Amino acid sequence: MDRSTLELADELRRLLGPKRVLDSRSDLAVYECDAFVLEKNCPSVAVLPESTAEVAAIVRLCNERGVAFVPRGAGTSLSGGGMPVGGGVMIVLTRMREVLEVNLRDRYAVVEPGVVNVNLNKRLAGTGFHYAPDPSSQGACTIGGNAATNAGGPHTLKYGVTVNHVLGVELVTAEGEVVQLGGPIDGSPGPDLVGTIVGGEGTLGIVTKVWVRLTRNPQGVRTMLGIFESVDDATQAISAIIGAGIIPAALEMMDQGILVAVEEAFHFGFPLDAEAILLIEVDGLEVGLDAQRDRIAEICRAHQAREVRFAADAKERLQLWKCRKQAFGAIGRLSPSYCTQDGVVPRSKLPHILQRIRAIGKKHDIRIVNVFHAGDGNIHPILLFDERHAEQVKRVLAASDEILTECLACGGSVTGEHGIGLEKLSFMNRMFSNDDLDVMGRLRDALNPGGLLSPGKLLPTAGACGMEQIHPGRHAPV
Amino acid sequence: MHNTTLSRAEAAATRPVSRGEVADLVREAQDSCMPIELVGGGTSLDYGGRVRGAARQLDLGGLRKVVDYEPRDMTIVVEAGVHMSDLAATLSQENQQLPIDVPRACEATVGGAVATNWCGPRRFGLGTIRDYVIGIHAVDGRGVAFKGGGRVVKNVAGYDFCKLLSGSLGTLGVITQVVFKVKPLPECVAMVVAKCPDLAVAEDALSRLAMLESPPVAIDLLAGPGWPSFSEDSPAEGCFLALRLEGTKTEIDWLFGRMQAELAAAGTRGIDRLEGGQGENLWSHLVEFPECGEVPAPSDGAAAKSPMVMQVIVPPSAVTRFVAELLSIDSRASIQAHAASGVITVCFSKFTPSDLSPILIARLRPSATCAGGSVVVVRTHLEGLTPHLIWGGRNDAVVLLERIKRQLDPMNILNPGRYVL
Repeated sequence: MDRSTLELADELRRLLGPKRVLDSRSDLAVYECDAFVLEKNCPSVAVLPESTAEVAAIVRLCNERGVAFVPRGAGTSLSGGGMPVGGGVMIVLTRMREVLEVNLRDRYAVVEPGVVNVNLNKRLAGTGFHYAPDPSSQGACTIGGNAATNAGGPHTLKYGVTVNHVLGVELVTAEGEVVQLGGPIDGSPGPDLVGTIVGGEGTLGIVTKVWVRLTRNPQGVRTMLGIFESVDDATQAISAIIGAGIIPAALEMMDQGILVAVEEAFHFGFPLDAEAILLIEVDGLEVGLDAQRDRIAEICRAHQAREVRFAADAKERLQLWKCRKQAFGAIGRLSPSYCTQDGVVPRSKLPHILQRIRAIGKKHDIRIVNVFHAGDGNIHPILLFDERHAEQVKRVLAASDEILTECLACGGSVTGEHGIGLEKLSFMNRMFSNDDLDVMGRLRDALNPGGLLSPGKLLPTAGACGMEQIHPGRHAPV
Repeated sequence: MHNTTLSRAEAAATRPVSRGEVADLVREAQDSCMPIELVGGGTSLDYGGRVRGAARQLDLGGLRKVVDYEPRDMTIVVEAGVHMSDLAATLSQENQQLPIDVPRACEATVGGAVATNWCGPRRFGLGTIRDYVIGIHAVDGRGVAFKGGGRVVKNVAGYDFCKLLSGSLGTLGVITQVVFKVKPLPECVAMVVAKCPDLAVAEDALSRLAMLESPPVAIDLLAGPGWPSFSEDSPAEGCFLALRLEGTKTEIDWLFGRMQAELAAAGTRGIDRLEGGQGENLWSHLVEFPECGEVPAPSDGAAAKSPMVMQVIVPPSAVTRFVAELLSIDSRASIQAHAASGVITVCFSKFTPSDLSPILIARLRPSATCAGGSVVVVRTHLEGLTPHLIWGGRNDAVVLLERIKRQLDPMNILNPGRYVL
């Protein structure tokens, strides 16, 4: 460790005490990457602040010393948003995990950034309200991280993504000032700065407190499973359901590859010979639900669904959702490594993109399975490989690139909810013109003028520590 | 007061029909340091105060194409000058809607509605226009054409200019094109009215409605003499609740029963379900209210434009308290509160310059700010109000926005004096 790092660590210890400053190689290994594992780089120091004032003091110290700093939640980002590109100080917010206030009448809660998504909902159990964004990693991911990435989840089809549920934030600016934007009430006058910070991937400030909207639980819910002989039929059915003006609370698809893994892991009793299943949920007024459910079932059957199963009770519903949300956990049964993509296409292009994904997998000899938010057109092809084989990694990168390029050609996006992070930097200038990126750069310069906060993320040029943008993946020293 | 308005002929000279032309005009303006006043339908040019000083008008009404509409994807791409009523008509052909209710929709444009981040009575159930913007094209103050978002309903690539430009009142960029996600039209709609003998009853009713699993999409509390009678019950005193229910016929029947029970338990009277023309008439009053802002003359003569219209935003639980406070300031004020969202529009029956200090500065603004809210002067006859008086002081957000403004509009030529930037 060089001398300036040692001095920095000492100063941080003076701020936080000895136990909340980590600088040994073994302690730091945890922080060398997030859930995007293709790139790794250790921070120089990791710190565990417990208050906004501590975060601000850390940031000011980094500014004085000209050291880069990166906020981190639970590290579940799939795009490398939490990876310390150029080293520096990693500000780990998981110890700020209090739910500070719950106000049902005015429908908001105030939480610290390290509150785990599901813990807020556990706290709300029995109140009749919930926090709607439900990323599949909700058992681990934090609300601060959700705000940084503007996280989605299955139920965002009807209820909207994180930005629709964040009313205000307390922010430590890149220079270490503490500011409050928005608050308990939706709708401060003027430009929507809160909505701009949310999804800023931690490059516009560090969120230290979040005012979130609480959503009333629906009166009733109907969950069903459509089982299809072919992926094509399933995707056509999705298009038809949305086209019929029905907005389900969630509409998820799993293909055969993922079904097999899930079935092996959890024994839900899924048919293993079906090519695709749709998990569909509608919620709302009890009096209207059976009609909606029946209409959807009818559309599925009209698209050659082999079978439509209804969840009989809450227990069966939970089991279906468990299967969906733990699908990623089951992938370990299929291969040693996997890379999840996060493209989006207009919903009517789903049949096309799924066909293309199959063809691309074949072309590059990479097995690809699919589990995704079909109702939003947000695909998650999962590319299976073994990262110990460099040649396979190359093919995975090439196939990923081709899939995302196809999403763009369909008028879509390269990321629906995971963020650009590091992983998709090279796509930014394919989605956006130089002028678009210039204006984005100016926005970042306005709020992060020194570029010390989360350098090398989201925008492909400035602050990338001299690394070339070669390809999706592999930007950092591994 | 509108001494900056140019003649129609001059305005016509700056009526671009493409984003490229807008960019050229903004660059020219930047080079000659000539501020620009952005004009859409012209319905909200005085919303929150007009542009300060001499400015050249840039009329965006020439950008009026529906660029693309794919009903199966439930997205539509429109240029900024498209009228809100035309957008609604296009969407309704496919049984779809952008559920944002804008007054004077035949004149108001898409760009203006986004720039003001307009919300109507359905804000509680369906949000503000910002929630529907998934892509945006704009030109910054240097004449650089840029975009944010895209054409898909879920997208986190890059910074979210859709949010930054929503509510920016043309101070950060000239919006030239917007992509909206849209919703299906409801099968049925019904309006429900109920009379509250006093605000305590209204508060009880609102608390009950707020906790329902199946609330209405709009819950408006209406007070003051500006409101016509919607019910056979006496309209002269107290206040009304007006609710909008949306859904299938079965759902609406069920909902009405539920509303009736809650409203009756709270002690409201004359609970009535308005169908057809009567319901539409009430709805149109609710949508147009902030724009017409009329108050009866003191002698019950002809209605006159209110000299002062304010928007007070407070927590929903504080709405009746603030309505009471507003009525104690001016018992003849007309008030519409989107009660479940905490958005109160008040049209004062009288307001003189000497009222500013005791009413706005010393009373309403501190108590709204203390509750976590804000007060904005939406429209007034009074002259010479500074932006900070109109919008409130220089808070944390404004400090950061000023930094963004310097980056995107370094010469300060875009709508100077609109908002506080």
